[in-house]
Amino acid sequence: MHEFSLVRSLLRQVGDLLVEHGGVGVKAIRVEMGPLSGVERQLVELAFDQEVVMTPCRGARLVIEEVSLTAICQDCRAEFQMQGFDFVCHSCESRQIQITGGDEFRLLDVDIAVSEASRSELHQRV
Amino acid sequence: MTTTNKTVPVHRDVKAELRQQAEEMRQTFAKRGTLVVNVLSSPGAGKTSLLEATARHWGDRRRMAVLVGDLATDRDAQRLAPHCPVEQLTTGGACHLEIPLVKQGLAKLGSNDFDFLFIENVGNLVCPASHDLAEHVRVVLLSVTEGDDKPGKYPKMFRTSQALVVSKTDLLPHVPFSLDAAIRDARQIQPDLTVMPVCSLSGEGLEQWCRYLDDQRKDMIAKSVTDEVRVAV
Repeated sequence: MHEFSLVRSLLRQVGDLLVEHGGVGVKAIRVEMGPLSGVERQLVELAFDQEVVMTPCRGARLVIEEVSLTAICQDCRAEFQMQGFDFVCHSCESRQIQITGGDEFRLLDVDIAVSEASRSELHQRV
Repeated sequence: MTTTNKTVPVHRDVKAELRQQAEEMRQTFAKRGTLVVNVLSSPGAGKTSLLEATARHWGDRRRMAVLVGDLATDRDAQRLAPHCPVEQLTTGGACHLEIPLVKQGLAKLGSNDFDFLFIENVGNLVCPASHDLAEHVRVVLLSVTEGDDKPGKYPKMFRTSQALVVSKTDLLPHVPFSLDAAIRDARQIQPDLTVMPVCSLSGEGLEQWCRYLDDQRKDMIAKSVTDEVRVAV
């Protein structure tokens, strides 16, 4: 169960973004996972709930987008959505396919709360 | 205090930074001529036995070192210590190795003058599959007592491996394990998988395994030289 270590890493990265963008809090964290991401949704949610309260991201909502496994055939270049884990091209039945989505645990974007004051300060500095 | 929302786009893998570090280390190892091999399997499939047998087979003819991951003990490191330089990576309960722990192990090893660096991962067919440890070759072991249906059950592990060692082949007459079925199942997931049946106790298949490692190292060195020429041009 490596979800805790991945979620801790995720929260560190979001914490860095918060500082970098001069935010006062994190509203939402949007992530993407798929069948070959190597993470379990429920475990990610559990880890997030436990870990987030100890970080500057506390109060943030975790939004998980589940995507399907997609691939491109190296032989006929067909792009397709995989059914289960049968790594075969749907058009030409070649096994030389490359996964194009659904195999990563990705941070998509972060909603950060920025105070009006710090915004205008920023503008003044610019 | 009034606040406004701002969306910061990121769109990258959570492990992107560690992957980048792994990629840089992989290139450094390649330039030095060290083939890094990440060895993975479920607990008890025979990773340590394979590495012991490999070290015995090579003797002084190859310089190899091992970083061995374990949740709590240094038992595997003790087994390997008579054969080659070895450092224990104790994960403190974590189910997989990550690049920072590998770096610590490398620092403790002191020397980096090796032909082969094996990283014996924590016994687990799930989590270690997601973590790039700067390896050039990822090898998964499947012992015949585990059953020939395992590849399909752990697709990520087999999809991300380049070689499959079927271990404990001396037990084949005693267990309902079909080598053909296991290979077929694994190649559904990873068609380019090199498959090597090995019995570490008797040494059967060891020659082929060691030759495979030598070939991989030669390919890596040739590729590293070509890459440098390309950069120079």
